[in-house]
Amino acid sequence: MLAGVVQKGELEWEVPIGFVPGMRVPGKFYLSARLEEILEEGAVRQLANVATLPGILCCSLAMPDIHWGYGFPIGGVAAFDLTEGVISPGGVGFDINCGVRLLATPLGQRDVAGRRDLIDAMYQAVPTGVGAKSSLRMDAKTLDGMMMKGARYAVEAGYGLPGDLVRCEENGFMKAADVKAVSGKARQRGVPQGGTLGSGNHFLEIQVVREIYDPEAAKAFGLAEGQVCCMIHCGSRGLGHQVCTDHIKILEESTRKYHIRLPDRQLACAPIGSPEGTAYFGAMAASANYAWANRQVITHAARNVFKKLFRIPHEEIPLIYDVAHNVAKIEEHTVDKKKRMVCVHRKGATRAFGPGCPDIPADLSSIGQPVIIPGSMGTPSFVLKGTRGAMEKTFGSTCHGAGRVMSRSQAKKKISGKEIAESLARQGIYVRAPNEAAISDEAPDVYKPSSEVVRVVHEAGISRLVARLDPVGVIKG
Amino acid sequence: MSFSELPHTADVRIRARSETLEGIFSDLTDALMQVMYGKFTAIRSETLVVKEVRVSGDDTASLLFNYLSEVLFLNEVGGIVFVRADVRVTGNKLHARLFGEVFDPARHSGGTEVKGISYSGLEVRNDANGYIAEIVFDV
Repeated sequence: MLAGVVQKGELEWEVPIGFVPGMRVPGKFYLSARLEEILEEGAVRQLANVATLPGILCCSLAMPDIHWGYGFPIGGVAAFDLTEGVISPGGVGFDINCGVRLLATPLGQRDVAGRRDLIDAMYQAVPTGVGAKSSLRMDAKTLDGMMMKGARYAVEAGYGLPGDLVRCEENGFMKAADVKAVSGKARQRGVPQGGTLGSGNHFLEIQVVREIYDPEAAKAFGLAEGQVCCMIHCGSRGLGHQVCTDHIKILEESTRKYHIRLPDRQLACAPIGSPEGTAYFGAMAASANYAWANRQVITHAARNVFKKLFRIPHEEIPLIYDVAHNVAKIEEHTVDKKKRMVCVHRKGATRAFGPGCPDIPADLSSIGQPVIIPGSMGTPSFVLKGTRGAMEKTFGSTCHGAGRVMSRSQAKKKISGKEIAESLARQGIYVRAPNEAAISDEAPDVYKPSSEVVRVVHEAGISRLVARLDPVGVIKG
Repeated sequence: MSFSELPHTADVRIRARSETLEGIFSDLTDALMQVMYGKFTAIRSETLVVKEVRVSGDDTASLLFNYLSEVLFLNEVGGIVFVRADVRVTGNKLHARLFGEVFDPARHSGGTEVKGISYSGLEVRNDANGYIAEIVFDV
């Protein structure tokens, strides 16, 4: 382990105050011995940098998929006092509400075995890759609707079922959205990209539930062994990217205005209640809503494909759950044994609320919130449940995925996209992507093993394993 | 004038080296386009689209952040892949003429979408041989 980092438990590590100058609280992260080998010093430094921000509560946290990002580390979680604390786009990222959702179908593996036409049809139905344009007829009013009411707007416009909304974090939209804080530039980027998947690590996958670890939770969520599911991973596209860029510029100035000293300019921030902080929060919420609407529109396209190819009505393809990975939210948590409202930033981390929390669907209240953890291309994804442990230790948060271990350029040099696609095909996984680079960039071994990441959060008790899903087909951006 | 990629696991980190500050800006424009669209051969110059960029910044780092963020915006909304940037920097102000071709999925493939320009690790310095910049593109 890096010099200065202290082991606090088998899977818990502390970065003491003083690791970087100006830390107000310690840093804390979860990691196993196997994941320790690939921990980057830059990521730990970023975790420590977050601990210097005004109003941070308890500690600066990172999940076991911690890696080197910008501003916060990826896998970073931090909660801030609403009066003394700050809000920062560096704690959310460019892809606001990048997130993932899981749909369950009544199909079994045998129904989809060898059905390349299913993946081909998905690839046709969902605009994918750099420069892909929306198939929606979007105008300024539609965009406003998406930004104000998120998945609810999409469902009301015919892109989904009312039941989908209760199975989304925040019921599919944040009320704090302020479209006036979203620039004309961001709007221009948002209009042509509604309902597009994007590129990079974004995907739509057909998966099969291969193993159930927690039968009671799986049943309550609506998952059974052998069942075919569809996972969608995407975010707020250029609109969210532009909102982040615009507000970093504004918050750079307010950092000076409010005399905040920062170790990294990407942590540009402002007091949560200041005009600049409020504007960022409103614009971020609008972008988060746009992302929820996007995933809802893609859901509708995916259901249409199942309907066309397998004659399954939309109603028989329920949404299991939808979680955000990159977002800041005002939530109630217990701090120093007192319940209070705080601003939680999650950057590459997932909300994992435990049983009894009012913000989870009523029928799952005794179980905990479903947590969806996507694997990298060709590797398993997992469904977990939120726990009381997460409420006590991590402001109700857990990991978000695998986390890279190899850069894209290294990946491209190591193995070609064609070879990877062939190797996956031999394992029964069919991949469609706009080009070879999109495949080699995201090759399975450029990521930490997702199984090890979820094992750590499971054993640390900040969420618990419910089911494993293996991919059978992937469309990539 | 040149640029190269430095190790970075999650994102793309670029180092540019040039005799002039303007050269750094134009090299990083090329780097940004290459990350997004792979290596491609530009089409004949008479069919290029021209865009003007005017930005200012508090220092060189913010000038670079503001400039490249604007390039990214023009690229995305216009569907234009830029092949050349003529840049002039005067104090804390920048004026650039960008020359680009219309996005063509058949020719401009092989890259990864850049979500934003990061301030983390953004550094511009000069030595006896000219200027060096390091920057991270979030992909």
